[in-house]
This record gives sequence, C-alpha cells and structure tokens, in this order.
Amino acid sequence: METAMTQSCRDCALRSDRLFCDLPADTLAAFDEVKNSAPVTRGTLLFREGQPARGVFVLCEGRVRVSVCSESGKRLTLRTAGPGEVMGLSAALSGTPHEVTAEAIDNCQVAMVKRKDLLRFLREHREACLQVVNLLSQDLHVAYDRVRSVGLGRSRRPRMMSA
Amino acid sequence: MRADRIFCDLPTLALQAFESIKYATAYPKGAVLFVEGQAPRGIFVLCKGRVKLSICATDGKTLILKIAEPGEVLGLSATVSGKPYELTAETIDPCQVNFVKREDFLRFLRDHADACFKVAEQLSDKYNNACHEVRSLGLSHSAGEKLARLLLEWSSKNGEAAKQEPRLKLALTHEEIAQMIGTSRETVTRLFADLKKRQIVQAKGSTLVIRNKIALRSMATSG
Repeated sequence: METAMTQSCRDCALRSDRLFCDLPADTLAAFDEVKNSAPVTRGTLLFREGQPARGVFVLCEGRVRVSVCSESGKRLTLRTAGPGEVMGLSAALSGTPHEVTAEAIDNCQVAMVKRKDLLRFLREHREACLQVVNLLSQDLHVAYDRVRSVGLGRSRRPRMMSA
Repeated sequence: MRADRIFCDLPTLALQAFESIKYATAYPKGAVLFVEGQAPRGIFVLCKGRVKLSICATDGKTLILKIAEPGEVLGLSATVSGKPYELTAETIDPCQVNFVKREDFLRFLRDHADACFKVAEQLSDKYNNACHEVRSLGLSHSAGEKLARLLLEWSSKNGEAAKQEPRLKLALTHEEIAQMIGTSRETVTRLFADLKKRQIVQAKGSTLVIRNKIALRSMATSG
C-alpha cells in the first residue's frame, strides 16, 4: 500500500489526488521548508475550540473529526476530514481562536505549519492561496449544510401520524 | 472608506483590475440578490446598506444566518466552487453593490495574489461564523439563552461593550429575530416582555438599553 509518509511532499505519490497537495513543484519545495511532519496517535486533539490558532495541520494520512462543543460538554460533529484537507485553516487566517475541535480518529500523519510561516507561504505562492480558497469554500458548503440540518432539520422531517 | 474593507484596500494595480470588471448597481430595500439553489453568477460586494442572509427549509421555514454589513462579499463560496448559492441574499436597506461575473472573478483571483489572500481571509470569517451558528443552534438549550447571546453580540459592536448599560439599535422585527435563533415570533415577543418585566432590558423607541448585563450574561451561559 502506498503511503504519504515520505519526507518531501514532492516525492509523495498520492499528492495528485489530494485537495491541498496538488501544487507545482516549486510551491511544494517551499512548503517542505516550512512544514514539520509528525505522527499523531488516535484520540489526540490537534486543537480545541477556544484555543488561539498557532498553526495548521495538513492531513497526510488518517481521519480527523471536526466538532463543536457546548459548555455542558455536549458535542456535535461538523464533518470528518480526510487526507489532503487542512485543519485549523480559518482560525489561522483570521487570527481568531479555534471555532472547532479537531480530534484524530485514526493514527494519523500530519504536516504542521506555524501560523506565521503559513501566512508568508500563502502570500508568496499564489497557487497555494487559490487552493486554500477552494478548500475554505468547500468547508463552508459543508458547514452551511450542517446549519441547515441542525437549524431546520426538525421542520424537514415528515410529521409522524399522531392519530 | 477603503480601510478594512475587502478589495477596497488592495494595491493600486489590483484595484484598477477590479474596477474594470465590476458593475456598480443600486438596489432598493427588499431586493433579492440571489436565491439559494441558483447556479452562481458571480459575487456581490456590499458597499452600502445591509443584506439579510438566510437559508430555507422545504416547508418555507426560514433561518437568518447573518445580517451582512458593508465590505462583505456575498456569494463567495458558491462562485469559487461553482456549486449553487448556499443562501438567499435580500437587501434590508437601499444598497449599493458591486457585482462581478464568475469568470471575471476567478481570473482576477488567479492574477492578483493579494486579492486571493483577502478572499481566503473572508472565507475564514464566514466559516467561523457558520461554526458558531451550528454551535448555537445545535447545542443551546433554550430560546431565551439564544436571544440573550444575540443581544450581547449586537451590543458588543460600536464600542458599546465597555459601557455599563450598552445600547443597540433593533433593526429587525420580532419575526426576523425568531428566524435568527430558530424559534417562533410569539416566543420572541414573550421573551422580550419577560426581559423588560425583569428590568434586564429597556426599550426606547427602536433602541434597546441593556440595563443588567450580568443577568443577561448568566442567561446566555446557562447552557
């Protein structure tokens, strides 16, 4: 089985299938410079909502659950993210605390990038910035779907016969 | 006017390119810019006035996601991804809007890295806002809690937050507030009557004075 464990993104056999990773060679070389690859064991929290955004995690392998939580501890899953997706993007870009919690639900491999490095990388590499815009648009579609199902779900379900 | 507004504080070159692809349009109050489910024609940059963003269930029930203010770009994620508009956008004031066609906008983003970065920032804000909405709709316990949160949020604008008794302009009807927090118009009216009776808020025309911030806060965190 092919894996995305290779040290350099340029040598990764899987990158063409992956959302963020399908970038020109020079952009990937620059990305290699700013990233730190690390394994993440199942159950680890990449970040928790309310925490300041220190950086992003590009998911190379495994899945991550993205959820929101109430003060009483009730949890609502927004989506499950897979390889090629970037975790913590919106908080890192807007410089606000994380709105969501990201938890590894498999043993994962991630590429970490510090916020400062990410911002510079995106400013210098247009292709990557476009990719990020695409990723965020997709995330937003999923989030709006969740708003619809959570906020209007009850009215969409056909009423049960009461008599 | 330019500072802090997306596209408005771009470098001159990008700004000139934007000028050449935008169509400046004026809309009356109550005009629909786009409807949820329509194929994306392009983006709408709000220059003046406010726009109500809502989603709709098949039975016609409406949920207001946000009241967009000048500087916000509407229809952004649909225009980027090519998927249908996710929301319906309706003006609630007479508005001034810059419209940019989808092809023009995508080319503009490819050519101007600064603009692309701005768009990424704005999408991030929208995403944060959507997550916030999911949390509030899905995890709040009562309509009272949600109304308290909404009033606190509104009162935190325009430097009112630091004041002992912050004021806010109620720009929406009870019906619309109900659609923002996912409850009925009757419930909102009842909650307001209760807040007034307990002297937590006081209405002066369309201005609402928050007289007891602490009580409102404790209502907002009771979940």
